[in-house]
Amino acid sequence: MNEVHPILEVEALVKCYASRRGAGHSGRANAVDGVSLSIAPATTLALVGESGSGKSTLAFCVACLEKPTSGRIWWNGLEVSLLTEKDLRPNRSRVQMIFQDPASAMNPRWTASQIVAEPLVIQNQLTRRDQFEHAQLLLERVGLPASAGARRLAEFSGGQRQRIAIARALALGSKLLILDEALSALDCSVQAQIANLLLDLQESSGISLLFITHDLVMAAHLADQVAVMDRGRIVEAGTADEVIRHPEHEQTRMLLAASSGLGRVTPESRDA
Amino acid sequence: MPSGRKLILCLAILGGLHFVIAGAGFFSPYDPTAQNRDWPYAPPMRLHWFDAAGHFHLRPFFYPLQLQEGAFNEYRQDTTHPVALSFFVTGARYRLLGIFPLRVHLFGAGDTPIFLLGSDSYGRDLFSRMLFGGQISLLAGLLATGLALSFGLLIGSLAAYLGGWRDETLMRLAELFLALPWLYLLFAIRAFLPLAVSPLQAFLLIVILIGTVGWARPARLIRSVVLSSKERDYVRAARGFGASGSYLLRRHILPETWSVVLTQAAILVPQYVLAEVTLSFLGLGVPEPVPSWGNLLSSLQQYSVLTSYWWMYLPSLAMVPFFVGYLVLASALQERAQGPKI
Amino acid sequence: MRYIFNRLVHAFFLLVGVSFLSFLFTTMAPGNYFDEMSLNPQISPETVAALRTQYGVDRPVLVRYGRWVASIAHGDLGFSFAYGSPAAPLLWARARNTLLLTSVATILTWLIALPLGIWSAENRGRLPDIAVTSATGLLLVIPDLLLALGLLLLAVRTGWFPTGGMVSVGFETLSSIGKMRDAILHMALPVTVLVLSALPILVRHVRAAMSEVLGAGYLRAAQAHGISRRTLLYRYALPAASHPLISLFGFSVGTLLSGSLIVEVVMSWPGLGPLLLEAILARDLYVVIGGVMLSTVFLVAGNLIADLILYWVDPRIRVA
Repeated sequence: MNEVHPILEVEALVKCYASRRGAGHSGRANAVDGVSLSIAPATTLALVGESGSGKSTLAFCVACLEKPTSGRIWWNGLEVSLLTEKDLRPNRSRVQMIFQDPASAMNPRWTASQIVAEPLVIQNQLTRRDQFEHAQLLLERVGLPASAGARRLAEFSGGQRQRIAIARALALGSKLLILDEALSALDCSVQAQIANLLLDLQESSGISLLFITHDLVMAAHLADQVAVMDRGRIVEAGTADEVIRHPEHEQTRMLLAASSGLGRVTPESRDA
Repeated sequence: MPSGRKLILCLAILGGLHFVIAGAGFFSPYDPTAQNRDWPYAPPMRLHWFDAAGHFHLRPFFYPLQLQEGAFNEYRQDTTHPVALSFFVTGARYRLLGIFPLRVHLFGAGDTPIFLLGSDSYGRDLFSRMLFGGQISLLAGLLATGLALSFGLLIGSLAAYLGGWRDETLMRLAELFLALPWLYLLFAIRAFLPLAVSPLQAFLLIVILIGTVGWARPARLIRSVVLSSKERDYVRAARGFGASGSYLLRRHILPETWSVVLTQAAILVPQYVLAEVTLSFLGLGVPEPVPSWGNLLSSLQQYSVLTSYWWMYLPSLAMVPFFVGYLVLASALQERAQGPKI
Repeated sequence: MRYIFNRLVHAFFLLVGVSFLSFLFTTMAPGNYFDEMSLNPQISPETVAALRTQYGVDRPVLVRYGRWVASIAHGDLGFSFAYGSPAAPLLWARARNTLLLTSVATILTWLIALPLGIWSAENRGRLPDIAVTSATGLLLVIPDLLLALGLLLLAVRTGWFPTGGMVSVGFETLSSIGKMRDAILHMALPVTVLVLSALPILVRHVRAAMSEVLGAGYLRAAQAHGISRRTLLYRYALPAASHPLISLFGFSVGTLLSGSLIVEVVMSWPGLGPLLLEAILARDLYVVIGGVMLSTVFLVAGNLIADLILYWVDPRIRVA
């Protein structure tokens, strides 16, 4: 890690929202409260926390879709927290985000190939014809049939929609995908399929993933590193194995108990 | 899809109606301002297909009117000399759509005047005046709608885009405009503009007036659509690909407002046609001799017209089928907007 | 209480806004009463100039606005150039008549719209509903101007109703019953037009609100308990549907006010409408502004009444 920049580096990130109601204690609430993290190339970091722990806010800040209150963010060595919105635009291709609800993350009026080609259109890459050919290739790469391009969003199932979203996120050749609860709206079997797709993609093209979820077991399955978030802070971090086997923090144990893999790894079996 | 079919049918009928009005020069037998001093207040003439003997005639005919002896405006039908209608006749010069000079009319009857809806005090053909009057009233309604919606679109999306105190100010202003009974507002503003103006000026005045008064409701609707679509994940996603503000507006946000704009248009056009009619009826709009659906009605303010010349009421009924069409169109558009989504 | 206070403050600022807007438009207007007057060769330019300074029409808009506000404090509402007297008495006399017409029409419209809408919602999709829906649809597309003229035409040709004014000539000589009969006959036509023009939208809203409530689970449960149809509809469903309907009350006042403007002119009802038209044609500035202000006051009052009823009916607002 001396020569190579981390794909993502975050230092002391704070995001606070001015509270709507003047009443209450301080009137300000820190959604993200001094978070630092980094992701090496071709690895996966899972960020686990309950809803309201600030993990989605962190994701939006990291993706530069929200402005952090303070802190620094580097994308592959480029300090993006210093850039203006305008200067950021050409660099947006480095990091892409995938949202929780694929139905609202894509324009329902558009066809699948229009959706997938949109990043190329926006970044003005390739000719018009090539844009659509590229979109076609991407759709096939995420495991959709060749005929999918002409269909509209309403004709796809939830899992297929998330595949389209992934294809779109790959269009600009990003090195980091941020997945904000991208699997939680899907059925269990579909979750596994999409998770495998992501692992395949990582293997074949060496992208990094920032995987945000409330499901600790799923996170451990996918990720190399796991960080547990509670009330805006990272309370525990380590390799996936460490965190699952030796949870230190109360919050981690709770998440572990609530996790979908309850049958597989329970606190009792860990203590044994 | 039944709602789609309803929409198409409705558009076809409305299109046909507007086509007739747009081609008023062709469909009307006379120039709308041509006076026939010999034929004041002629009653409507009926077309017949069966003669007195009960024989059918493919070409409809009518009985010409003759002035009663000693009267200046009482007529009787001359049943002994039926006159057949001729089609595609050459008559008064007109400009189709204001451009192409033509002389051919759909029908006429040579030298015998034919007043399908009767004539007014100057002996002008009410049928022709009805068709030409529609041009003024409908055009005023359509242009005013376009203007009001453009203002609404501009102000609404601006308010949503800027946010903060500017949004607040614009929306308070809109509330102010909505708080007034809008006809009063129209009147009040009209009150401060010159009274005696040329027909063209009056027409433009009305269009601008209605357009300026009417921006508030569309602006509020469009603002809320823009606000909600600004928060959509796919708009955020596009921002994540490096999209500029103008791209987002052009490709994602404005298309979203489109169905609201269309529905509003279908609701507003009849309202604004009616506003023109009301202003012209009261003598605040397009002045004589240029006909409009509004000033065609204004003669009914005289008691003598009410008692003796009821047919002066007929031309204004032409607006009813248009209003029906727009009402159905608005409901069909609304249905479609709420229609199948994911 | 805070809710009511908020509504009052809101109404007050609305009125200030409307009045200022009206004044703003007067500055943008080319020409005024005295410009027209100066075209009259019988009036010397000196007289016109003197009148101009007297009424201060050449002063900046803020000054005139200030003077107008001060005149409200005196109860004058500005000055009528054409009548040469304060505008307020002129306006009040007419406003009373407009108020009479619109309030009678409002009450009648609601009395008809409620049962009709409920009946229609109850029989959703069946014959009564279809009949009501198509009848209101028909009324919706006939503008009140055409309706008024059509009824007037009918009245003139049949002679069943008087065709203008509020009372007949020689009203004073009639007995009290005769007076009442005469007044009602004169009101019949304008009220009919107003009711018919406001009815369709109201009926449709009542129908929509009631259909929604009638589908709710607790009403089906009540029905299963064997409550009579009347009790169910009027004691259970109607109060539940009342929220949007009460808000609609304010809207209906606005519709009726706009409608009454034109109906009054057509039926020569001595209300604000004809006065306003006359004032516009004479460029009688303060009378126009006064008329607009009064109509706004009525509208705001209508909305305020709706808010008060809502406050009284709906406990949720009192808590919030």
